[in-house]
Amino acid sequence: MAALGRAALLLSFALVVYAVVAGGYAAWRKRRRLALSAQNALLAAFGTTLVAAIVLWSALARRDFSFVYVSEHISRALPTGYALSAFWGGQEGSLLLWLLILTGYSALAVFLNRRARDLVPWVVPVLGGVAVFFSFMLCFVSSPFATQAAPADGAGMQPSLQNPYMLAHPPMLYLGYVGLTIPFAFAMGALLSGRTDERWIVLTRRWTLAAWTFLGVGQLLGAHWAYVEIGWGGYYAWDPVENAAFMPWLAATAFLHSVMIQEKRGMLKVWNMVLVALAFCLSIFGTFLTRSGVINSIHSFSQSPLGGWFLGFIVIATVFSVGLIYLRLPLLKARTKLESLVSREATFLYNNLLLVAFCLTILWGVVYPLLTQALRGETRSVSKPYYNFFLHSFGLPLLLLMGIGPLVAWRRASLRSLGRMFVLPFVAAVVTGGVLLALGYGSSTPGLLAYTFSAFVAVSIVLEFVKGSRAAGSIFRLVSRNRRRYGGYLVHAAVLLFAIGVAGSSAYQTVRERGLQPGQSLQVAGYTLTYERLDSTQASNHTAIRSTIDVSRGGSHVTTLHPGKNTYPVEQTTSNEVSIYHDPRNIGDLFLIADQIDKNGTLYLKALVKPLVNLIWVAGFLFVFGALVAMWPDAVEQRRLAERYAPGAAVA
Amino acid sequence: MIALSVAAALAVFILYTSIAGAGTPQVLPSKLHQYAGKPVTLVGTVVSSRGDAHSNSGMQFVLRDPQDAHGRVMVVYHGTVPDPYKVGRVVVVNGKLSDGRFLAQSGSLSTKCPSKYTPAKPGSNT
Repeated sequence: MAALGRAALLLSFALVVYAVVAGGYAAWRKRRRLALSAQNALLAAFGTTLVAAIVLWSALARRDFSFVYVSEHISRALPTGYALSAFWGGQEGSLLLWLLILTGYSALAVFLNRRARDLVPWVVPVLGGVAVFFSFMLCFVSSPFATQAAPADGAGMQPSLQNPYMLAHPPMLYLGYVGLTIPFAFAMGALLSGRTDERWIVLTRRWTLAAWTFLGVGQLLGAHWAYVEIGWGGYYAWDPVENAAFMPWLAATAFLHSVMIQEKRGMLKVWNMVLVALAFCLSIFGTFLTRSGVINSIHSFSQSPLGGWFLGFIVIATVFSVGLIYLRLPLLKARTKLESLVSREATFLYNNLLLVAFCLTILWGVVYPLLTQALRGETRSVSKPYYNFFLHSFGLPLLLLMGIGPLVAWRRASLRSLGRMFVLPFVAAVVTGGVLLALGYGSSTPGLLAYTFSAFVAVSIVLEFVKGSRAAGSIFRLVSRNRRRYGGYLVHAAVLLFAIGVAGSSAYQTVRERGLQPGQSLQVAGYTLTYERLDSTQASNHTAIRSTIDVSRGGSHVTTLHPGKNTYPVEQTTSNEVSIYHDPRNIGDLFLIADQIDKNGTLYLKALVKPLVNLIWVAGFLFVFGALVAMWPDAVEQRRLAERYAPGAAVA
Repeated sequence: MIALSVAAALAVFILYTSIAGAGTPQVLPSKLHQYAGKPVTLVGTVVSSRGDAHSNSGMQFVLRDPQDAHGRVMVVYHGTVPDPYKVGRVVVVNGKLSDGRFLAQSGSLSTKCPSKYTPAKPGSNT
């Protein structure tokens, strides 16, 4: 079986090399049949990579420990679902997942856009080039099909990875990371072909939206996994590897907004090329961070030779895209100019600048240890205060702009119309701020500002829906007639909920901890937590110890919680198992951690009360719904675009 | 205009990191004596460990450089101990060196991600 996997990967490598060489030559010499052959090679590469993936999945399902990868990542006692998820639990498997998704996406993108005959032939060698790198790594540097004499059992999977979220979180992130390759390839294809109008943007709009959505959902799933599994009471720690997923998402967010200006006004052509290249390079940079071990992160994989290869690939991709943009600058001139600093396009620009500045400050924080080591001879790192400073500096204005942008007219807005549009949101913001101050929530200035701005944005979004619904007759007709715009507003509403949840759970949380004997209590934010007893149960691959905590408020029983620990004998480790009460009164959580359990029965209990935290997870559902509305095919729009880019221009 | 605006925004954070922030040094046990009394982030492999992180005397563990056996230092720590913590693992902890012992900041102990401990592959056939 391992030989079949290796052969399939070698075939994938040969096919994508052919797609690059034959595809590049065909596009250059305009050989249509050869271009088609290169496209077919890309389609076939998906088939061969799928065979390799099935071989690995099959080995994991059969617990075939003659595969080194299998023996290192699972054990016989591990439930089958987690055994299959070990596909992306290690370095070689996750590289194979990259290639599988990349070839799948490439095949689909090329197939759906096959009638765009002047653009796709140039896209194929770019997609092939990225696939060559990953297939080369899998064939010659880090193979998942290394074999050995089969041991009796495997090393097992780390307990913290044995969580349902880990079945979905990594694949979602990969779907997002890899998805950014498609708009990048079409952008580079547009530059290579010399067709630098808005067509490449139209062809890849849904791909970009999908990748951006996957990346967002992947991060939210990861945050929720950290929240319920890691047991420290948080969901984001500004770790370099977490930042690695956040940076391309920020760049893609900026790109999704700025392409609207190019479509509408023919401006920002160079900027859009830079953004799509930045998003792609940052997605590779994220993978480099996890593979290289050059930066201190709690997530890094073992130090391996992969870091150098990834760094080389990032340099090649950056030089290639920057060089190409530079060479094509004469073709990227704007059709129009910014007419006023108070206009829809200007607010989009401000939004872009804040997003990119935020992205680059995070990048600076991530590479700061490397730079200080190179320049000063000592490694220094920045931490939470640094990132929070810029979150407040850039995030809060971004939040406010989300409410201002949609209300401002294109080209030029008059002060009178602005006054009319902003009066209600402004009043709502002032009232909200005043009420919160009166209620004593002024202890956190960023929190207070976040809620004040959120009120402004919420009212502006509601106003847009109300006005639009009146004109269209109903809200459903309104949304179905302009899915992109109103899907976008739904996503804005999701970001708003997210911001409220983050502000509430971080700025206004309460933490208490102490050692308890059975019968003793701990008071926290109005709750009384009484430790009753400890119990132990045996599961298939671990021993579970659970405490029983009675939760009451004002003398009335609220619920019973069971924080504890699991002990895994094969993996020789323990894991914290937190227990959470979702409080409908404040849409928040009472979060209990059994920090330490002594042999004499003493429980060191840590309790956190996190108001509004559940809005973060609710925001995730609204985010996906809004993105789906924005992505949903619109027959009227498709006809309009097909006419605009005719002849021979099909729109995906 | 875009480039100028981005440059201005970038200037803010460069100013912040060079003047206000300046970061925290990450040091190995063998270099720790150069930073006596100053707050640092210490990175090392756990050699031995005893005591209770929730007791008054705290948990005491010895760290050495991750790549070799140099520079041993005793760390005194109070607070939450991460699940993957044990002898042989690489940990990261904030604090400062005082009277030959590293007094760790409460709750600052973290360990590397589990996947970091994937063993090497001697004798495997690729």
